Amino acid sequence: MSDLELEGRRAHVTGAASGIGWAIAQRLAAGGARVAISDVDEEGAKARAAELGSGHVGLGCDVRSMSEVSAAIDATVDAFGGLDLLVNNAGVEIGKPMVDTEEDEFMTLMDINVNGVYRASRAATAALAAAAAAGSDSAIVNIASVAGVGGCPLLSAYCASKAAVIRFSEVCAIELREAGVRVNAVCPAFIDTPMVQRLAPAVAAMTGMEFGDVVAVKQGRYGTLEEVAEVVAFLGSSEAAWTTGSHYVLDGGISGGLL
Amino acid sequence: MAGKLEGKIALITGAAQGIGLAVATRYAAEGATVVLSDIDGDAVQAAAEGIGGSASAMTADVTSEEQVAALVGEVVAQHGGLDIAVANAGIATVQPAVGMSLADWRKVTSVNLDGVFLTLTHAAGAMAASGGGALVTIASVTAQAGSPLISSYAAAKAGAVNLTRTIAIEMRDHGVRANAICPGFIDTELVKPHKKTFADALGLEAMGIPDFDAFIAMKQGRYGTEEEVAALATFLASDRAGFCTAGEYNLDGGLRASLL
Ligand SMILES: NC(=O)c1ccc[n+]([C@@H]2O[C@H](COP(=O)([O-])OP(=O)(O)OC[C@H]3O[C@@H](n4cnc5c(N)ncnc54)[C@H](O)[C@@H]3O)[C@@H](O)[C@H]2O)c1
Ligand SMILES: NC(=O)c1ccc[n+]([C@@H]2O[C@H](COP(=O)([O-])OP(=O)(O)OC[C@H]3O[C@@H](n4cnc5c(N)ncnc54)[C@H](O)[C@@H]3O)[C@@H](O)[C@H]2O)c1
Repeated sequence: MSDLELEGRRAHVTGAASGIGWAIAQRLAAGGARVAISDVDEEGAKARAAELGSGHVGLGCDVRSMSEVSAAIDATVDAFGGLDLLVNNAGVEIGKPMVDTEEDEFMTLMDINVNGVYRASRAATAALAAAAAAGSDSAIVNIASVAGVGGCPLLSAYCASKAAVIRFSEVCAIELREAGVRVNAVCPAFIDTPMVQRLAPAVAAMTGMEFGDVVAVKQGRYGTLEEVAEVVAFLGSSEAAWTTGSHYVLDGGISGGLL
Repeated sequence: MAGKLEGKIALITGAAQGIGLAVATRYAAEGATVVLSDIDGDAVQAAAEGIGGSASAMTADVTSEEQVAALVGEVVAQHGGLDIAVANAGIATVQPAVGMSLADWRKVTSVNLDGVFLTLTHAAGAMAASGGGALVTIASVTAQAGSPLISSYAAAKAGAVNLTRTIAIEMRDHGVRANAICPGFIDTELVKPHKKTFADALGLEAMGIPDFDAFIAMKQGRYGTEEEVAALATFLASDRAGFCTAGEYNLDGGLRASLL
């Protein structure tokens, strides 16, 4: 794989102990980047970083806490001597009707999926801008979802949070353009992760279809973790040097088709 | 190091210059066998020779069903299949929508919409016959917003994006992916002749903005480059983008993201 554009990049991926975040960390590392893996699951993050090998770091970080996020970004900058790429991946889901969603559940989801993106973006901006000033193509890639592009029953809080991430990315892109920091969002459809397996029974019950059939009809098949990581690697590299304020879907057509 | 498009057969329309030429050049560098096509036969021949290697040229007007069908047929006959097609040929005229004649309107829509239809439909048919492939439409961010003075262009681009999405859905089970790229302004021959007209119509001077280039710097940071479009077109055509279909990929330095 030709990865000149990732070689030597200093990256931080939140929520990277599992699922999509872990796949992104692996892809960036395979391309020659140094990766800081953070997660609320500190043990998991450290184990994953060790799996990647020397030169990578694992950090405990709950994106609900500004001080933890700042500390994790600072630790990354200390370890790597700077930061070129932040991937805001940490996220959670709620799969139930809006009327059954409790206020504290709704607020917790927003605190992670939206406020967490704000916290890490804010904490990382100075380091990303400094890298840009030194000639790097700095970037933030936010993992949103097709749920931020179109409505999905049972996912009211989740859809609202991901739509917020898309719009937030646009504004950051404009505000940070002069500083040389690009900001984009990635919108995957259903990828076969623990998150989706948790959602599957409720979605199946609501649609009256097997969940696998829902996936087959609407998006052809499951997307793979690797496919998400490829889009992130592209947007996070100098290959996408003029792309900012965009959201790139990878969804097998679920958001592009009407029926 | 193996290229990202090793062994693929790729057809690019409007490839004599500008974005189409940059896409063909990058595809060839990534290991694809490229066929450059253009209405300007001499220019496209020279462009293919400039790339060298296995690059070849074919003359075709994308507004002609006969010529596009023959073009795709010829590519398949010569190379044994078609894996990637880039519907890139496009033109622009600059005049207000109110008062425009139907003939002027159709001049642009025939290339930018009918031409995309012909390219995609014929290419998709050939791809389906050989197990699948990737279609890439070079649309524009003008597809997504009212675009003064280029109504025919923008409407055709919006149509082209939607057509690309529809073909993607229709062809999903045949292994054909289809995506649209929506670039902001690139400083090519398509844009250069019209800068003064735009600057005057937008009243830039009265706003204290010296010229169109300065306006572009404000709105999208800088002009994008043909090579940057080519990089995205490479990603979308490659197997790395296997789950990307029926999508619209902006590449505009943030132009579309801001209301201001
Ligand atoms: N799986 C899908 O189909 C899908 C589709 C679109 C978008 N996404 C998004 O991708 C991202 C990753 O999802 P996934 O499918 O890999 O889920 P996952 O549950 O497998 O992984 C999420 C990770 O985030 C961590 N995390 C949770 N709360 C955290 C917090 N407060 N602070 C720090 N880390 C925290 C978890 O410990 C876990 O390691 C999420 O933002 C999700 O919304 C997933
Ligand atoms: N330059 C920009 O700012 C910009 C922005 C967004 C999208 N685009 C799109 O990118 C594509 C390429 O534009 P460019 O900027 O390279 O322009 P260009 O004028 O440099 O190149 C266009 C090419 O298309 C060919 N062509 C025109 N009519 C044709 C026809 N009927 N059949 C076959 N070929 C034909 C021309 O001969 C020329 O070689 C167009 O679709 C354009 O709308 C350009």
